[in-house]
Amino acid sequence: MKDGLWLEDASFRYGDLWVLRETELHVPPGRTLIVTGDNGVGKSTLLYVCAGLLNATAGHVWLDGHLVAVKKPSELMRQGVRRGFLFGQGGLLSNLSALANVTLALRYHADLFGMDEEDLNLRAREALAQLRVAQTDFHALPAHLSLGVRKRVALARALALNPNFVFLDDPDGGLDSATRKLVYERLEGFRDDSGITVVIATNSRQLIERLGVRPMELAHGHLLPEDETRRSHRA
Amino acid sequence: MRSTLPYDPRSDAFRETSWVERIGRRAISSLSETWALVSTLKDALASDFAPGVAAKRLVHGIMMTQVMFTGVQALSLVSVIGLLIGASIIIQTNMMMPADGELIGRVLVAVVLRELAPLITAIVVAGRSGTAIATELGNMKVNSEVLALSSLGVDPLRYVVLPRMVGCVVSVVALMIYFSIVSLSAAFAIGILATGASLSSFQQGVSGSVMPHDLVLFFAKGLGLGTIVGWLSCHFGLQVNSSPTEVPQQASRAVVMSLLGCVVYNTALTAGFYWLVGPPLPAP
Repeated sequence: MKDGLWLEDASFRYGDLWVLRETELHVPPGRTLIVTGDNGVGKSTLLYVCAGLLNATAGHVWLDGHLVAVKKPSELMRQGVRRGFLFGQGGLLSNLSALANVTLALRYHADLFGMDEEDLNLRAREALAQLRVAQTDFHALPAHLSLGVRKRVALARALALNPNFVFLDDPDGGLDSATRKLVYERLEGFRDDSGITVVIATNSRQLIERLGVRPMELAHGHLLPEDETRRSHRA
Repeated sequence: MRSTLPYDPRSDAFRETSWVERIGRRAISSLSETWALVSTLKDALASDFAPGVAAKRLVHGIMMTQVMFTGVQALSLVSVIGLLIGASIIIQTNMMMPADGELIGRVLVAVVLRELAPLITAIVVAGRSGTAIATELGNMKVNSEVLALSSLGVDPLRYVVLPRMVGCVVSVVALMIYFSIVSLSAAFAIGILATGASLSSFQQGVSGSVMPHDLVLFFAKGLGLGTIVGWLSCHFGLQVNSSPTEVPQQASRAVVMSLLGCVVYNTALTAGFYWLVGPPLPAP
């Protein structure tokens, strides 16, 4: 059984530009992987491939033993793979309010979660409250919210799903110190939860030190432990 | 965790390609574009049969909203166009055959019911809602909203494409019926006032020339044209990759291809249908 996240001989490229080359990777359940790398090297794309949002050009990606297929995202959810994804700019649906963004997946899968309208609203409100989103922002459209609030709403959306995989793209980028502190606390919660596999793409030394996880660096399509990459650069 | 061994970036240096390779690449690209186009329609329609009662309920609610945006909000525009088209036809027809209410009724059936109502309604929906749909979906792609839906286990074809396609189909069919009523009523009213022909002669002309198979053609056109507008608008909207500059380009492409598709479909269906069932108008 391929528990956690598995990349099996996985490659991804945009035209002639390779982001990932024949990579083998295993992140066991409950573990955290931090990916660093220069701007434009493909950290976000790697995250998309790992989360099954982009199909690998070659090779396979497994989440808890389920082969991911981009075309049928709801099937993964029905198989018990619940993914929370925080996009760089939040990735909130622009025509839905903050609350509706959080309830969307719960409502779409209400039969699967066994929730009625009252339950899902309650869970969404709880998730937003945990991320200290003000009640006055619950019914605002994302365009009317600051980046910090948008990121917290997106994190609440991931949290509300009770995920077993969390993918975070530059989670502390553009945040003020108070919001950053709040986000770090939440990420520490994810890191310490043995049921959640976490993948983070970031270059924030502060975040890396706070989480105390040894990062891997993505360079030229290869993932290597950061100190090894530096050694090979010096050589 | 392990990775493969070092990689030499020089191996990806640009190289000259032969003309055979270029033609081959272009052919493969055209084939994959066509396949993607067909897949959008096929997968969106199939998604309605995917499991998930709650998802189905949610999506059907969005369909109703889409019918509101695409159909109900277009009523005033279709009323004006229908009225003016009816008036234009009656003015032209009256110059050729004055005071012949029955013949004018037959012409109205041939021109309005069989051709203009489906085509003009589809053009209005493509121009008004097709651009809106393509732009909305393009912006969703740019803002990673489509990826966000997938990450939440929400099927974008089911949640985004299907309701818009169904909304276009329902709206085009309903607006066609509405357009026909407005256009024929305007033509009757102006005809009676301007030519002095009787209402009964108009009615005789219309009822004498509407055949049962006209209804089949009318609805086949409505369903087909609505599908073309919804399908192509959604497809080209989703073709946007990551740049905002692609949004207006794809929106324009969506409308142009929708209009072209509608005209080709309308003409082909008219020609094919009457070739099969014979001429529509009995001899006067």
